[in-house]
Amino acid sequence: MSIVPKETIEVIAQSVGIANLPADVSAALAPDVEYRLREIMQEAIKCMRHAKRTVLIADDVDSALSLRNVEPVYGFASGDPLRFKRAVGHKDLFYIDDREVDFKEIIEAPLPKAPLDTAVVAHWLAIEGVQPAIPENPPFDAIVAPTENKRTEHVKDDGLPVDIKLPVKHVLSRELQMYFDKIAELTMSRSETSVFKEALVSLSRDSGLHPLVPYFSYFVADEVTRSLSDLPVLFALMRVVQSLLHNPHIHIEPYLHQLMPPMITCIVAKRLGHRLSDNHWELRDFCANLVASVCRRFGHVYHNLQTRLTKTLIHAFLDPQKSLTQHYGAVQGISALGPSAIRLLLLPNLQTYMQLLEPELQLEKQKNEMKRKEAWRVYGALLCAAGKCLYDRLKLFPNLLSPSTRPLLRSSRKVVTTNPNKRKPSTDLSASQPPLKKMATDGAMNSLASTPMAGNMPGTMDGFSTQLPNPSMMQASSSGQLVESTTSGVIRRDQGNIHTQRVSTVLRLAWKEDQNAGHLLSSLYEVFGEAIFSFVQPPEISFFL
Amino acid sequence: MEDEEMEKKVQQYLQRKGFRLTELALQEERNRLSTSSLSDVALARSENDPARYYDGYSKLRTWAYSSLDQYKHELLRVLYPAYIHCFMDLVAEGHTQEARSFFHTFREDHELMHSRDLQKLEGILSPLHLEEMELAQSLRQNKFRIKLCEYSYELLLQYLQKTQALVVLGIINEHITFEVSPGQSSLISDDSDVVALIGTSKDLAKQINQKDVHWGLLEDSVEERMEKALSDSDKTEAEGKDADAEDNKKRSSEGGKQGGSHKKVKKDKLVGATGKNMKSETSMVSVAPRVKPELTLPVMPVEVEQSILEDLRNRAQLNNLSLPSVSFYTFLNTHNGLNCSSISHDGSLVVGGFSDSSVKVWDMSKIGQPPKTSSSQGENGPSQGERVSTSDEGRKSYTLFQGHSGPVYSATFSPFGDFLLSSSSDSTIRLWSTKLNANLVCYKGHNYPVWDVQFSPVGHYFASASHDRTARIWSMDKIQPLRIMAGHLSDVDCVQWHVNCNYIATGSSDKTVRLWDVKTGECIRMFIGHRSMVLSLAMSPDGRYMASGDEDGTIMMWDLSSGRCVSPLVGHSSCVWSLAYSCEGALLASGSADCTVKLWDVASSTKALKMDETKGGSTNRLRMLKALPTKSTPVYTLRFSRRNLLFAAGALSLGS
Repeated sequence: MSIVPKETIEVIAQSVGIANLPADVSAALAPDVEYRLREIMQEAIKCMRHAKRTVLIADDVDSALSLRNVEPVYGFASGDPLRFKRAVGHKDLFYIDDREVDFKEIIEAPLPKAPLDTAVVAHWLAIEGVQPAIPENPPFDAIVAPTENKRTEHVKDDGLPVDIKLPVKHVLSRELQMYFDKIAELTMSRSETSVFKEALVSLSRDSGLHPLVPYFSYFVADEVTRSLSDLPVLFALMRVVQSLLHNPHIHIEPYLHQLMPPMITCIVAKRLGHRLSDNHWELRDFCANLVASVCRRFGHVYHNLQTRLTKTLIHAFLDPQKSLTQHYGAVQGISALGPSAIRLLLLPNLQTYMQLLEPELQLEKQKNEMKRKEAWRVYGALLCAAGKCLYDRLKLFPNLLSPSTRPLLRSSRKVVTTNPNKRKPSTDLSASQPPLKKMATDGAMNSLASTPMAGNMPGTMDGFSTQLPNPSMMQASSSGQLVESTTSGVIRRDQGNIHTQRVSTVLRLAWKEDQNAGHLLSSLYEVFGEAIFSFVQPPEISFFL
Repeated sequence: MEDEEMEKKVQQYLQRKGFRLTELALQEERNRLSTSSLSDVALARSENDPARYYDGYSKLRTWAYSSLDQYKHELLRVLYPAYIHCFMDLVAEGHTQEARSFFHTFREDHELMHSRDLQKLEGILSPLHLEEMELAQSLRQNKFRIKLCEYSYELLLQYLQKTQALVVLGIINEHITFEVSPGQSSLISDDSDVVALIGTSKDLAKQINQKDVHWGLLEDSVEERMEKALSDSDKTEAEGKDADAEDNKKRSSEGGKQGGSHKKVKKDKLVGATGKNMKSETSMVSVAPRVKPELTLPVMPVEVEQSILEDLRNRAQLNNLSLPSVSFYTFLNTHNGLNCSSISHDGSLVVGGFSDSSVKVWDMSKIGQPPKTSSSQGENGPSQGERVSTSDEGRKSYTLFQGHSGPVYSATFSPFGDFLLSSSSDSTIRLWSTKLNANLVCYKGHNYPVWDVQFSPVGHYFASASHDRTARIWSMDKIQPLRIMAGHLSDVDCVQWHVNCNYIATGSSDKTVRLWDVKTGECIRMFIGHRSMVLSLAMSPDGRYMASGDEDGTIMMWDLSSGRCVSPLVGHSSCVWSLAYSCEGALLASGSADCTVKLWDVASSTKALKMDETKGGSTNRLRMLKALPTKSTPVYTLRFSRRNLLFAAGALSLGS
């Protein structure tokens, strides 16, 4: 009947030394105990209110007890919340976990830092009814709702006040207008100066910029479309976007729809900058990372953000009509989204794409130096992406590289090596190829190239030696033995790998969701050759090999 | 046992002998006997059966819910008193088990409106508790007043007669008085009138509220003198124009004198006329009638008066279009220990009362300056039992006042900032001098924690409110209280002086606000309408209105002369810790645990109310002008300076 059961009373009686409490006594006591408990809680709540709190703490109960002339319950005074533990074997029995404390420990422990002393600081909560945008005040909720924006009161004849809502007019203070003009000017014309850097810092820190966000997002969108051929300006604009995204006081989500298109443009545009020498690759990389960070931050609130982005990117990637620069941007964009995006979007299409890309890479087929360079860029990006994915898988499942994968690798390697005739590598490509990330040409490997290529691929030796004058090529095919050199990061040039029917079946199997990393590695190896090993941790690769 | 055996034997005998008819007759007779005894038992039980409450109430409930839509909301009002009294009757009869199940079955119906009362009543488990609990007592002793229209009343009577619902009828007779109004059923909006009437019978409140309140302002106040000076200067500037205004002025002052001499409130009609062409800055004040002080007031030093006059001259004019500037004092690193805060009238001093019994005073005019105040340290007198330390050497920014032996629940500065009062759970009030940095007096009189203490607007006198259910008036020079105001049914949680110093208002956990006459110590107004404990009070500068804020975040504005609620201000979602009127009374500021300061338009809504009174139109809610959110800082106190700058203070509470 009462929330305090009779049994509790009996237990309490036992604990104070009354062994056999008559049942009727406990039955009579139980409701009274409940009543007293409620009484104490009522007083405790009063104490809480007068301490101007909305959360009840142990101190309040203590003061309530002393109000009732009861000795307070000691031992619960610490500010920490009490940790209740469930008693083993009892569903509804809880106790407070009270560790035994060793005095020695306490005495020997270094003194804790003294708590900071109470202080009072003053700030303006409002100036003539308007809250200034300073860090001490909470950030604004977007733009003030039109209803609160401006009210004028017209007192009619009957004296009753009437609210008349004016058309919404966004009023920008003079200071903010000047600030905006200054930033715009810096962005457009003086992005190299240190003043611009300061401006970026201000954009990423200042708490009062919220009213400017719509203007900035319009400015960025507008200027990006206008100055696609001006790389420094594009870069400056993207830096502005980055700073705005970093600003903790800005609620930028409502403006993402306006900011995303220019960012994506800067990733997958056909041409950025007007000169060939313009390093638009860097801009694409920068934007890819920026977009990825946006996805990470707002993906859960802005639910179709990521799907729309990936759709755009994969379209750009899969359309053979699109230029290689666009492909590059798409690959970078996807790879910045993380390993799972790579695995789901890039890897399934890798096979077919490589078929497309292959002719572009080769000197014989692609005479245009620029185009070839671009193709190599794309290749490098793909390799990086695949490697990132692989690295992630291996990190996730280190023991997936079980010995059982070895035969498969071996066999697939055989697949590779038994069709050497289709390889069309070219040595001078290596010269034109710009250094890829995480890979550096390593002269030392040449010495290692002479290591015996015996074992499971004896038949390949002849084919290679005739076709590949560069010893490093041979080394590439004999990866099994070159553990150390491969891990040190070597440029692989056996990219022009063969794509036979058999390989693709292997791949198809491998891309399944439950693939293990060994399969992944082997299939990637199919595509990229040993370059992929640079993404495998040394201990794992040794195990693998 | 024996009877049964005998009967069996008789039956066997009859069977054996073959007396079939006799046997049947016997059986019949026996059956009749047993049923009659059974029905006797049933009858006896029904008189004492706990289930009859359940039946009676649930029938009434289904009836009320299925009644005509137009009258339903009126009839539903009957349910709550019936419910509560059914429950208490059950408890009184000792059917604890049944009382519990009854309580829980129908609890949901009333949860929305009366959750706090239900929480308290839930604990009642024995007749003993009924006698002990103040709420139950007041419910038992007093009657609910329910407003019904004629037709619903008739409906109810018909129902009660038809169904012979004796239990419910008894309860209704005993605990409810109906106020039958002719005509159509009234609007739901005045529901609060009905449900909040607890703790007092209507008669008492009515009787009390009939007394006169002289809410006018003090004669010959600084403001008045200021105004005179102003109007004089106006006159010299533009004689012709102001002739009318001056005329009004004379009349109003005449009216004031009259009001003062006859000691009678006079709602003069010339008020409106005066208000219009006077400077609105001063009109609010000038409008109010004048009364004589009933206490001997302290004499104001000349230099203080000068500074006040200076402030009045520089006062910013506030209304619904020009809002005040708000300066916010944030307490950092309080470790949940700050219980109260207060700001001096000029905003230069801030005091915090802490749960570790300490009182700390910050001089905000010195903050930000380099700590070179070592010269002032020499002034420190020798510290006595009550220690005060200006710890400049430890480059502490505050002055520490130690002396209390329990959490400090309230602190207040005297009007000119030279004294400080603090009240604590050790049931004492201490007077500190901010000039000497020393404890001057310890006032002992309360028996329980003193929740609130407030200086009177002229200083010297102060009022305190305590857990012992009394409020007391003190003067600084006597260690015994001058008056004890007793009458609240629960803790007195807050206290506030009327502007003319003749009255104090107290807010209590019994959900009422009372107005007391300082001279006689009598309760002269009772304001009923809050649904939870009253936490804050404020008096309008013209002395006519009072605002009170409660635990649920509701603020109510009361008309002192009529004792009626002008309008409720709904907007806060948590406890309203503090309220303040702007100096000319056009704005009301409220600070709450929901981390906002809200500004309300008082002037236009009181105007609207006047319209209402004449027209009887729909009630116009007070308008919220602005909500100023703070950064996770509950607002503990608010203060309009004499120049109408709003000061607010609160403790930053992150992670809670």
